[in-house]
Amino acid sequence: MTFFNILVFAAVSLAAGALPRARSWLLCIASVLAVYWLQPALPVRNLDFWLPTASITLAAAVWIVTAQKRVPAGEAGTPAGSAGSRPAREDWTALAAIGLTISALALTRYLGPDPILTPARPPEIGWVLSGLVIGMLILGGLWMLAPRRWLPAAGILVLLALFAAIKTDPFAQAAAAMLRRLAGQSAQLASPLDIRWLGFSYLAFRLIHALRDRMTGRLPDTSLREFITYGLFFPAVTAGPIDRLERFVKDLRSKPGGTAGMLTPGAERVLAGVFKKFVLADGLAILALNAALAARVAAPHWMWFFLYAYALRIYFDFSGYTDIALGLGRWAGVTLPENFNRPYLQPNLTAFWNSWHITLAQWFRSYLFNPLTRALRSGPRPWPIGLVILAGQFATMTLIGLWHGVTWNFLIWGCWHGFGLFLHNRWGERSRAWMPRLEKRPLLKKAYTVASTLATFHYVVLGWVWFALPTVESSSAVFLRLFGISN
Amino acid sequence: MSDDIEAKVSEYIAGTILKQPDRAIDPQEKLISSGLIDSFHLVDLSLYVEDTFGVHLDDTELNAESFDTLAALAAIIRSRQ
Repeated sequence: MTFFNILVFAAVSLAAGALPRARSWLLCIASVLAVYWLQPALPVRNLDFWLPTASITLAAAVWIVTAQKRVPAGEAGTPAGSAGSRPAREDWTALAAIGLTISALALTRYLGPDPILTPARPPEIGWVLSGLVIGMLILGGLWMLAPRRWLPAAGILVLLALFAAIKTDPFAQAAAAMLRRLAGQSAQLASPLDIRWLGFSYLAFRLIHALRDRMTGRLPDTSLREFITYGLFFPAVTAGPIDRLERFVKDLRSKPGGTAGMLTPGAERVLAGVFKKFVLADGLAILALNAALAARVAAPHWMWFFLYAYALRIYFDFSGYTDIALGLGRWAGVTLPENFNRPYLQPNLTAFWNSWHITLAQWFRSYLFNPLTRALRSGPRPWPIGLVILAGQFATMTLIGLWHGVTWNFLIWGCWHGFGLFLHNRWGERSRAWMPRLEKRPLLKKAYTVASTLATFHYVVLGWVWFALPTVESSSAVFLRLFGISN
Repeated sequence: MSDDIEAKVSEYIAGTILKQPDRAIDPQEKLISSGLIDSFHLVDLSLYVEDTFGVHLDDTELNAESFDTLAALAAIIRSRQ
């Protein structure tokens, strides 16, 4: 997201907040346009147009699969919000509005050589219309299949397969080669970077949440317009946070309190985010540990300096984006969930993961850690507690690591945190016996808190060595140099 | 009845989770956001609630947003009994 993107999004958010009657439509269409606008240009011809189109189609497909009640023939136009109803006419209108928006974007091709709102010139209108027809046929097919009980589970598998394909270099390379052949380009130049699908990870998390909650009967009924806005909400499309549908829709359906009341809190968050991202994070970028620095720097104190700079940079960059997203959302009348809460000042690793990328950690707890722990604890032969915690923490953290990319370094980073969380849990169990005595000695308690906060911070910082560098060799070498061991 | 729910859950949290059977849990004391109950013990707590009161707590509800105090948990149990 550039500064110019933020300025335009700010104008749209403020307009949405100031125009309650048009808000829902404005946010939906702006979100559709934003996925094209934010998508980076790609070397495969027209792929940077088709990937945002695929995001919108996926969101619409999941809405169809998770639809709970259909309006019987003759009852179209049932008032919105009535119990168990779906205003079918409104959904058709939303579908038409989205189709027209995509077609209008395609027509910008004929306004001149420079792209408008798309990263490159869109495809010929004929191709776009053909694509829309194919998309409609897919959605129509899903509509016919939608009552089948296995469909949400199949949807989750499709999303996970797409996820794995994009995040695993050999699969992404093969897919890029195939797409290049389809576009009439040389497959020999294919690279995993050809498929940089803006916002797919966050969209997939939201869609899997919707599909899973549909399976457990906990998903609220929504209109297509609400669901598309939820999946692709422009302030949160690039870097989260990952909201829950029931919470998001509640805000979308409530009347915004007017521009005056939300102007200051929204502005505070946006300005704080801009300062963190464009001043602090970008300023620290030249000092932050990277592969080139890792190869050149030998002195341990400089290595620590660059590593601290990396730790601060990644925090300011990510939490800055979150502040901007929350501020923009606030202006538009949507209170997105917090994603950070002073993570580097937490006294233990469990508290760190309750305050770093909070919505991602919460998502993994809800859909992986809790069901896995429940299954292992409540089966006919429950596992021992220690083993359950070890399995649960390692499974969760390694998957969070691999979500960033299927590489050895991300796997090790996940294991590093899984092991740390397990150790903290075991330490917590043992220290429960004497902790109440510590509570009675304030000075000692304070010293303990300071020491544990410093230890937690350094454990996290050392973990970034695996995260920041591309290979196990370079990370291992940095580790040795940090402790004065030359290799 | 409501006191009974709070008393039983309080006893379970203090004795089984915190290993401090003499400790009194205040109904408004923050349990999850304060770090008193971690994610593993939350699952155990939900299994206890299921076994003792016949009330199911979904995996997506095991967080401070759904209930962060003994009083809030007791209210959920009562509403589903």
